[in-house]
Amino acid sequence: MTEPATHPCCFILPPIVLAQVAEEGNARDRDAALKTLAASASMRARRTVVQQLGLTVAQFGALRLAPPGERRTVYDMKNRGGNGLPGTKVRGEGDPPTDDVAVNEAYDGADHTYDFYKDVLDRSSIDDDDMELVSSVHYGVDFDNAFWQGTQMVYGDGSGQFLAKGSLTRDISVIAHEMTHGVTQFTAKLRYSKQSGALNESFSDVVGSLVKQWVNKETADQADWLIGEGVLGESLPGVALRSMKDPGTAFEFDDQPAHMDAYQDLPDDNNPRNDNGGVHINSGIPNKAFYLVATALGGHSWESAGPIWYDTLAKKLSENSQFTDAAEATVASAQERYGEDSDEEKAVKSAWKSVGVL
Amino acid sequence: MRVSIVQGGGLVPIVTTTIADSASLSHENAEALRRKVEEAGLFGLSAAGGDRHPDRPSYEITVEHDGRQNQVVLDDAALPDAVRSLISWVGSVPGHQQRIGPPGRG
Repeated sequence: MTEPATHPCCFILPPIVLAQVAEEGNARDRDAALKTLAASASMRARRTVVQQLGLTVAQFGALRLAPPGERRTVYDMKNRGGNGLPGTKVRGEGDPPTDDVAVNEAYDGADHTYDFYKDVLDRSSIDDDDMELVSSVHYGVDFDNAFWQGTQMVYGDGSGQFLAKGSLTRDISVIAHEMTHGVTQFTAKLRYSKQSGALNESFSDVVGSLVKQWVNKETADQADWLIGEGVLGESLPGVALRSMKDPGTAFEFDDQPAHMDAYQDLPDDNNPRNDNGGVHINSGIPNKAFYLVATALGGHSWESAGPIWYDTLAKKLSENSQFTDAAEATVASAQERYGEDSDEEKAVKSAWKSVGVL
Repeated sequence: MRVSIVQGGGLVPIVTTTIADSASLSHENAEALRRKVEEAGLFGLSAAGGDRHPDRPSYEITVEHDGRQNQVVLDDAALPDAVRSLISWVGSVPGHQQRIGPPGRG
């Protein structure tokens, strides 16, 4: 008998009934209803993903319910690729370190990123409902990439040619970048195409850099503003994958613009040459805007510019948001947090004007 | 036989084009190329992508042989093991050519 393509999950009592019990029932019923509501909300979020992605039962297992709190699990793909995700479980929450450096780095990197979201932005994991943090390492053979697969982070080993061997779990900004793609999936759901896709990429770079700064306790002036510092292999001379401070200067083939004058209107035509409409190219523009805001405000970026950007991602943007939408939304977020005509609002407006978006 | 593989869309903002041409390979490797293309079943594959996921790469694979040409675009998640093996082999066989460039120009 073949395995069903997707995992069915249904609830008997509708949330409105549970809410009524929670409000009007006795203490025991209220407690039970609240727990069911919490679980249902979590399951509904997962069910949405399951339906969107057409997950198999095995993949759905990675999303299973468990008590709230931080839950990290690392799997080993043992150099297989494709549909074998997540692979073989090698370290779960609270387990001691293994002999595998990549496993421990993925585990610790997920920890730092989880803590950043929790302590700084008051967000509980990727879905704000303590979703399990699933990472798979050793994906493919010499795979020069890391990606967000819709339910989990995936890391290759690097070939040494384009990315240094073992580098992809080494840099916290890469791990936070991938995990933030998950946060975007559960918040603004920015479509991975052209400007909305470039915003998707940029929010991942912003949090990638912020987590690194937070871990290192750096101010905006002290930070290197690099994504993937030191991960490049021998065929890509340079210092990092991207520079938020100076887009287009991170490595030899870095073609990121820092201003709308150099925006590259690439087609989104399923051609691998065009990067889903330049999502990793034009992200340089909003990246630069964030850098300008953070350095104008000074101090710790996660306390000033970071919350403005996070509010925007979590509450104001949607699937088809464009650069101007993001610019206006960050201005509104700055006003809400710090007031009209505040230094923060002025810095945000000035930054988007500097990069030619406003 | 000539196999060209264009890869892009990953975390690293580059496009790589890797080519293995029987004319530039040893007799043994030319035969291995023919065998691997056959095992990959490229002439029977159609474009497959599925859901789009951030930073996950895709591949355009073009095979030219005996006046025939077939081209498919495959998302990394849709790669059969034999195609994944072919991509890896083409990128490492002595005599292959490779170009690197930024998206849109690579």
